[in-house]
Amino acid sequence: MNLLLAEDDAILADALTEQLRHAGFETEHAPNGAVAEFLLLKQPWDLCILDLGLPMVDGLTVLQRVRQRKPELPVLVLTALDDLQSRVAGLNAGADDYLTKPFDFPELEARLRALLRRSQSSPLANASMAMGALVFERDSRRASIDGAPLELSPREWTLLDLLLTRRDRVVTKEEVAQAWSSERAEPGGNNSIEVYIHRVRRKLEGSGLSIRTVRGLGYLLEAIRPA
Amino acid sequence: MKTFPGSLMLRLTRLVVGDQSLHKQLLLWLVLPQLVLWMAAAFVTYNVAARYANRAIDASLLQATRALARQVKPIGNGLFIDFPRAAQDIIEADPDDRVYYMVSTPPGQFILGSKKLPPPALAGAPRLGEPYFYDGVVDRMQIRVAALYVAYGDSKTRQLMLVQIARGRARRDELARSILGDTVLPLSGLILLMTMIVWAGIRAGLAPLARMRALVEDRAPNDLAPLKIDAAPQELRSLARALNDLLAAVHESVAAQRRFVNDAAHQLRTPLAGLKSQTELALGENVDAAQQQRLERVHESAVRSAHLVNQLLSLARAEPESALAQHSSRVDLRELAREVTAEWVPKALQATIDLGLDDAGEAPPPVIVQGHPLLIREALQNLIDNAIRYAGASAEVTVGVWRDGAFGVVQVADTGPGIPPDLHRAVFERFVRATHEGSGCGLGLAIVRSIAERHAGQVTLDGLAPHGLQVRIALPLAR
Repeated sequence: MNLLLAEDDAILADALTEQLRHAGFETEHAPNGAVAEFLLLKQPWDLCILDLGLPMVDGLTVLQRVRQRKPELPVLVLTALDDLQSRVAGLNAGADDYLTKPFDFPELEARLRALLRRSQSSPLANASMAMGALVFERDSRRASIDGAPLELSPREWTLLDLLLTRRDRVVTKEEVAQAWSSERAEPGGNNSIEVYIHRVRRKLEGSGLSIRTVRGLGYLLEAIRPA
Repeated sequence: MKTFPGSLMLRLTRLVVGDQSLHKQLLLWLVLPQLVLWMAAAFVTYNVAARYANRAIDASLLQATRALARQVKPIGNGLFIDFPRAAQDIIEADPDDRVYYMVSTPPGQFILGSKKLPPPALAGAPRLGEPYFYDGVVDRMQIRVAALYVAYGDSKTRQLMLVQIARGRARRDELARSILGDTVLPLSGLILLMTMIVWAGIRAGLAPLARMRALVEDRAPNDLAPLKIDAAPQELRSLARALNDLLAAVHESVAAQRRFVNDAAHQLRTPLAGLKSQTELALGENVDAAQQQRLERVHESAVRSAHLVNQLLSLARAEPESALAQHSSRVDLRELAREVTAEWVPKALQATIDLGLDDAGEAPPPVIVQGHPLLIREALQNLIDNAIRYAGASAEVTVGVWRDGAFGVVQVADTGPGIPPDLHRAVFERFVRATHEGSGCGLGLAIVRSIAERHAGQVTLDGLAPHGLQVRIALPLAR
């Protein structure tokens, strides 16, 4: 993964570059707006982390210019400005995501990966997902745990697909019902969602994954933590 | 210590001008002189009335005296007085208004009449044909006397005769009193009427002041918007202008302070992010245990500072000026609670806290308030953040939304240790923390309260049995 980090604070840039390398990103550092713009336009990149308060050419300008030439490049804006106007300005200029300093690195990493998933949303890139011992192959519509095939009904498939896509985040019952109806699966009330959750839970046993019920909201798929 | 007249004056002045209302003072200043003038006018009126009454009585006495004098005719060496008994009776008839008369030839030769009347006090020779008027006492009665010296006889036997007629003063006093009464009564009515008019005038005149007072009293303590002075009279207008200038100056300095906090917080963010990242990195490397511990402390402190900076910014944003700049709209508390709670579930799970939403049944009705969506979100986030920070591992945190009268309520309840009731007020202060557990900075509830007040709402804390805390934000429902 090729990543350009445009950040003028040397200490932060140094640490971030190192952390990103650990996380598996090939990271290049641009200390100012001019260099960032030059590098972004000159070379192919998979991702860009852009500070808005860059010297020489400010981040927003860099973003606008790069957007004209590379509309597909995923850009995460990393900034100390978090008021509404700055956010709106950043997103209007074409930022794909917005994270304020100071941040937790795991969150940054998760967002970067989400951006990558979205940008490479060709069926091929998104076709196969693995989480814990579960392998989920969308194109062939096959799932397995530790190599053992997992039998899933269409509704169970849709449910697990949704939970996997949104893993570690809450999926509401409404969202499940919506996914089902858009898949033209047979309609059902909220009670049947509980029934299906129960079934999928049983089928996920031994996968290292669990579906947690979030009171009053819905469900969340997470990896079972070592106790 | 002696009380000097000066200090007495001072006390009087204080009594008059002192801490009373302007209304009372004006009334006092206008009515007191009026009263004094009223008394002076009554006094003068009485004296003038008495003088005129005297003059009238003197005139009638003189007339009677001259008439009597005409009746006295010299016959040879003697005097003949043609004074019929009937006339005498008429003159002496009224017992309440006795009339005395006396004719004598000085020195002291009594001819006719009551004999008791005192002679006029003469300076030099008596002037003939000229009346003397004076007061005297007869039978212990105040009388008014008219005296006339008349000459009779030819030039050789020329003699002086004194004719006196007197009358009790009772009549005169009565007359003066009735004049006084007739003048003073309408005057009193006039004064009373004037007082009432003055009172009404003061009221009307001071009404703009009262309006301005209400304007100042009714505003929120942190509302520094200028006073509206369209309908104020000139004097008040300059006062209001001065006040507005002051407000503007305060406003400016508050805004400058807030800008400074805002800027400082922003400036702190990048170095803090650097510090955090560097320590995270260092923690990931292999260092010996003692260093690891120190690094963890540095990291923890970096995390806390980062949180503090974020909270400071939130607080600056919750202030009225910045809130005014934000867009106010209809906010569905139920929807907001769902979103925010769902967002916070992963963080809660990391802290092994069971965060959930109170189940309001199938398709509950929305609870819509008017407000700044981001601010209300900020408030709710702070409550959930607090609950996660302080409720402790494996606690339950439940978010609920409902209507309560004219208010929409959003509540965060936890099964943590709670806050002792005596600290329920204090925790709303900035940088006050009820516990040293957790890594908070003591701004969360201050932010929540500031936001609630911004929306004319309120925040309440309640303990839960057997332990726990529920914090409730009540915001007025949108119309």
